[in-house]
Amino acid sequence: MEFPAALLTRLQVEDFIYREAALLDSWNIEAWLALFAEDSAYEVTPPGVEDPDRISRQSAYFLIGDDRKRLGHRVARLGQPDAHVESPRSKVRHVYSNVIIAEDDADEVRAYANFITFRTKRGTIEYFGRIRFVLARLDGSFLIRNKRVMMDIDALVPQGKVSILL
Amino acid sequence: MGWDRPYESRFLSVDPAAQRFRVNRRCFADATVFEEEKRKILYRSWLYLCHESEVANRNDFLVREILDKELLVTRDAAGEVNVFYNTCTHRGALLCRSKAGNRKAFGCPYHGWTFSAAGRVLTRNADTGYRADADADGAYSLKRVPRLEKRAGFYFINFDAEAVSLDEFLGDAGERIDILDEHSTGGLEVIGYHEYSISGNYKMMCENSYDGYHLMPTHGSYFTYQKAMLEGLPQRALGGFALSLTNGHATVETDIVSGRPIAQWLPVWGAAAHDLIEAKKLELIERLGEKRAHQLGQTNRLMVIFPNTVMNDQQSIQIRSVLPVGHDKMITRAWLLGPRNEDPELRRVRLEGALSFLGPGGFATPDDIEMLELCQRGYNMGGVEWNDISKGFEAGEETARGTSFWNNELHLRAYWTQYDKMMSAS
Repeated sequence: MEFPAALLTRLQVEDFIYREAALLDSWNIEAWLALFAEDSAYEVTPPGVEDPDRISRQSAYFLIGDDRKRLGHRVARLGQPDAHVESPRSKVRHVYSNVIIAEDDADEVRAYANFITFRTKRGTIEYFGRIRFVLARLDGSFLIRNKRVMMDIDALVPQGKVSILL
Repeated sequence: MGWDRPYESRFLSVDPAAQRFRVNRRCFADATVFEEEKRKILYRSWLYLCHESEVANRNDFLVREILDKELLVTRDAAGEVNVFYNTCTHRGALLCRSKAGNRKAFGCPYHGWTFSAAGRVLTRNADTGYRADADADGAYSLKRVPRLEKRAGFYFINFDAEAVSLDEFLGDAGERIDILDEHSTGGLEVIGYHEYSISGNYKMMCENSYDGYHLMPTHGSYFTYQKAMLEGLPQRALGGFALSLTNGHATVETDIVSGRPIAQWLPVWGAAAHDLIEAKKLELIERLGEKRAHQLGQTNRLMVIFPNTVMNDQQSIQIRSVLPVGHDKMITRAWLLGPRNEDPELRRVRLEGALSFLGPGGFATPDDIEMLELCQRGYNMGGVEWNDISKGFEAGEETARGTSFWNNELHLRAYWTQYDKMMSAS
């Protein structure tokens, strides 16, 4: 029996995003940043909006709306001892599941995953919802064009802030 | 009032000769003080409700929780804005269960009573059992919050029917709210909001919002980023002053150092934004004159309206309503505002500027939150009585006076002087 191409893409994407999550969980954030393409974005949509998949950070007030340049500054900031909220660093654990491939083109894959991310520092908080990955195919692996985090919460209560990379 | 002699209360310890002004930590850490504070301050002061653009059209509504109340705000068929307790006058169920929208009538899911956007009973869902004139006196109408008034498009409420008017309460702060509305001739609109909880007393968030002293130590990592953003622009010193207004309100006003969509272009924003920002700058001068245009466009204004409203005009206009949930926990709601029908390019740079600094995912606010939570833990452990806000304190200090904001915590003393006055009243 022939191995279905759709299944192969899902396995490739899962393998990639599990490793992506592992870099975050180990605070290997410079290596994580290197997964992002030049024209990429990392976004966290505002809680409580109707259709977080469709809104744009150019016109809506996101929680985070970084182009590749500002994401670089975000990662650099988190590496400094005076990024007080993460100094000392929290413990972070990302869990991805329910991976669905929405579009699979020759040069790009759009995928969705459910997620829960735990952050522990003076207590544990959970972030959860859905993540959209737009991945550029590159030499048998991927680069991230867009990682959009869409949380299933009405407000950052009790999370309070997004100080880690989701 | 000027502090010219030693003063001690449950909340303050003031010794002008020693240049010492201290606040007792029970104001942050004592649940019984908080209960007293609700009675004496929070239910008797004007609290921020919403901006008029949030209920711009007839039959627009929103539900907003303030303190322990859930309120229903409507613009009725006659165009009037109303604020009701969001509870059915029949048996009490929460009436409106959506956060916002447009609706002519509000139906209770329990027994089917229905109310108009003006709060009158439309139907009791019953053919028999009531007198025909049961509601002739409006006894069953939705219950209104005692007071609702607005200043320059910003609505405030007061749970005390006997309170002075909003304008009298705001005093000198009112004129500074008017400035916000002058950003454009078409008025402002709410672009979006962030809502986040902090394990700390709400008064700390008010202090933090206009505290210049903490900027470098707390936000060093933000300023490293900002320096990169400002590359290619002439360096400016951060000059400015603190000014105590009326009734515990105060403002800190500084020259801008970062970009703003109305007055200061940043090279990273690109050439298209440059011309639009320069044109906006000229429009302000033409419409308001040099002096007012400078005040509006070239200064950051951080204002705290006692006891829990923050009205900031920096990278963008941001209003914060800081709501206590007990003595050691708060929820901050922060709305971003900009001119209605703003050019999309200017809106883009407004959002970019706001996102980098402000907000619970920005480069600065998470560190503020961390500081406030560390402070609350410090207060909760007990054993140490006093916080210090003596910086720049002078005997005979008039509260209504400007000074270098770096060297003076005059604005914080204005807040706490008002706090002590209201809490010490019998």
